[in-house]
Amino acid sequence: MYQDYAYLIVGLPVLAFVLTIFLGWHLPKGGGFFTVLATFAGFILSFGIFREIYPNNEIVHQSMHWFASFNAGILIDPLAIVMLLMVTFVCTLIHTYALGYMEGDPGMARYFAEAGLFTAAMLGLVFSDNLLQLFIFWELVGLCSYLLIGFWYRKPSAASAAKKAFLVTRVGDVMFLAGIVLLYTNMVKLNLTLPDGAYLLQFQTIYDSLTLIPPDQLTWIAVLLFGGAVGKSGQFPLHVWLPDAMEGPTTVSAMIHAATMVTAGVYLVARMFPLFYAAPNALMVVAYVGGFTALFAATMGLVMFDIKRVLAYSTVSQLGYMMAGLGVGAAVGASAVGVSMFHLIGHSFFKALLFLCAGSVIHAVGTNDMREMGGVLKYMKWTGLTMLAGSLTLAGFPLTTGFFSKDEIIVTAFEHGALGLGWLPYIFAVVAALLTAIYTFRLWFLTFDGEPRSDYHKHESPWIMLGPLVILAIFALFMGMPSQENFYEYVGNNFEHYGVDFEELAVIGGHHVEHGAEVHEPFIIKILPIIIGVGGILIAALFYSRWKRFDSSMITSERDPLRHILLKRYYQNEIYTLWFAEKVVYGIALVSNMIDLKIIDGTVNKISAISVGFGGTLRKVQTGVIQNYLTAIVLGLAVLLILIQLASMGVAI
Amino acid sequence: MIPLVLYVLLASTMFTIGLYGLLTQRNGIKLMMCVEILLNSANINLVAFSAYLPNVNGQVFALFSIALAAAEAGVGFAILIVLYRLYGTIELDNINALRW
Repeated sequence: MYQDYAYLIVGLPVLAFVLTIFLGWHLPKGGGFFTVLATFAGFILSFGIFREIYPNNEIVHQSMHWFASFNAGILIDPLAIVMLLMVTFVCTLIHTYALGYMEGDPGMARYFAEAGLFTAAMLGLVFSDNLLQLFIFWELVGLCSYLLIGFWYRKPSAASAAKKAFLVTRVGDVMFLAGIVLLYTNMVKLNLTLPDGAYLLQFQTIYDSLTLIPPDQLTWIAVLLFGGAVGKSGQFPLHVWLPDAMEGPTTVSAMIHAATMVTAGVYLVARMFPLFYAAPNALMVVAYVGGFTALFAATMGLVMFDIKRVLAYSTVSQLGYMMAGLGVGAAVGASAVGVSMFHLIGHSFFKALLFLCAGSVIHAVGTNDMREMGGVLKYMKWTGLTMLAGSLTLAGFPLTTGFFSKDEIIVTAFEHGALGLGWLPYIFAVVAALLTAIYTFRLWFLTFDGEPRSDYHKHESPWIMLGPLVILAIFALFMGMPSQENFYEYVGNNFEHYGVDFEELAVIGGHHVEHGAEVHEPFIIKILPIIIGVGGILIAALFYSRWKRFDSSMITSERDPLRHILLKRYYQNEIYTLWFAEKVVYGIALVSNMIDLKIIDGTVNKISAISVGFGGTLRKVQTGVIQNYLTAIVLGLAVLLILIQLASMGVAI
Repeated sequence: MIPLVLYVLLASTMFTIGLYGLLTQRNGIKLMMCVEILLNSANINLVAFSAYLPNVNGQVFALFSIALAAAEAGVGFAILIVLYRLYGTIELDNINALRW
């Protein structure tokens, strides 16, 4: 019954967007309750649909003809329903929190309108049944992120961060579009006879024809699609926009980093997993890029002092985990999707929690800089404790959600190595896990422990902000344990609904799946994640808490080159902005400008100059003096008369 | 009786003189005079043929034509007077505000 109203999951937030943008100015709190209610209704609907399809393991598919050979449709399978539940649930809480956080901002109506559209776009992306529709919502997500990051558009840094996010993700989007075009041309070449109601770019059709497309083409398509995911999900080297996206309100950061934007890239790879699996070497690219991003971002998280920036690098790093989790699926097949998606869902709970806590702290303290905080726990008990919950699960403390999901990815990465597919993803993941625990608790101790290091405002946030924190904290801590096994099975078997034969695809993709060849995991490998998680927390405690035994100056100094590189963030700014943007791109722009001015405009100008000159000469004929015309008439008449005369006399003319 | 050919000869001579004046002169009043000569050459033709045929239609037409010529001369000279006030001359070569 609920599934008949599936379109309302997107429809209601869009309606909320329309209502808030037109009426919000006249309503209390900018009409934010429209957005909250619409998102909550979406959650109820998603939950209803989940209850209907989960027991019999069904899927919902509705589709209608759109134009030419394309359709618009709704597809709710296990992969989509968990995303729908997560996005609606987390967004409802974030929007509720924003009611308190954005209080008094003159742009409140605009904020809630854009936030509603953002949510709608993400939900539409998730339940698309074909690649084209997914791409359209994908672009809409990009647009909304631009609007929201630049929400305080009068601030130059916010405006430039918004542009940066838009442009950097655009690089990925172009690759994504190229991937779609390449896929489409290959599909057309197959000359498939489609059953009624099936369209070329529908996921079902794509999965069905994977065995028919040449493998080298598949690799190209997979790599191009992954390029889109790299841009959206902030993977190296297109991660640079994500830390800058902090310029928006904290609730926007929470939405982008947890629920809506960055998960889109991971979702895309998960959705197209059969294609990646069938394409030789594609998953290897995903695994290495993801693993490297996880480690690379974690190292930068270690040295940042801006509380939101630490969390931003942590997001980049965790997204790297998800990508790596999908990439190492080369070893285990489709169950990797379940593992990675579980980390995605868990991550969106605790990352939303952490961002909202950070927002609560910033809201109260009035600064982003952790050096000016310290001892906040005394004044903000609820915020501090919920943030502790988020930090524990992010650090992978045993039995929290983050522990299970990260552990599973690390184990899968180990199998990846043990099967001879490369140990690097495993090493990246393990080292990054240690760093994650350290920087997370460095953040927590610096902010909440110790003595106040500056004279900040000491008050707790209102309950409309704390309520969502408590709910998120409960989920972040305890969601993992009861649900994980069911989740892996439910989402991991997502592609069985489409009859995808992974063994057949493995042959094309060149994966050796040895059945029954259980990978032996030594005891130390099994408990390593626990040691790492707890060890990292202890290290952070020894350096930054009230039980401090060491000081960071003991292992590093001001002149330490490594520290310098980290603080400078690997000179990314220098490389991307000063060298790449200002030298290379600006140089290319200058050359293109010259070509445009001299050659293209020049040709057009020349042609017009020729006709103008010709016309100028020709118009001298029109003297404007009546007598000249008259002369011409008389002469003409005379010639005519003579000719007639000659003709009548029989002279052949 | 004067033969018809002489009338036609007179009319064509006057027509040629008028046309020549119209093509060569630049003075507004001279042009008006040339136009009058042209009109009157036609009138001579009309009256001559009318008298020979015998049919009075031609003479009636000649009267109309004279009346028209009077009206035309009235309008024409009025325009010339306005032009003279504006430019201080009726040499048409100097009145070229709308030419390229």
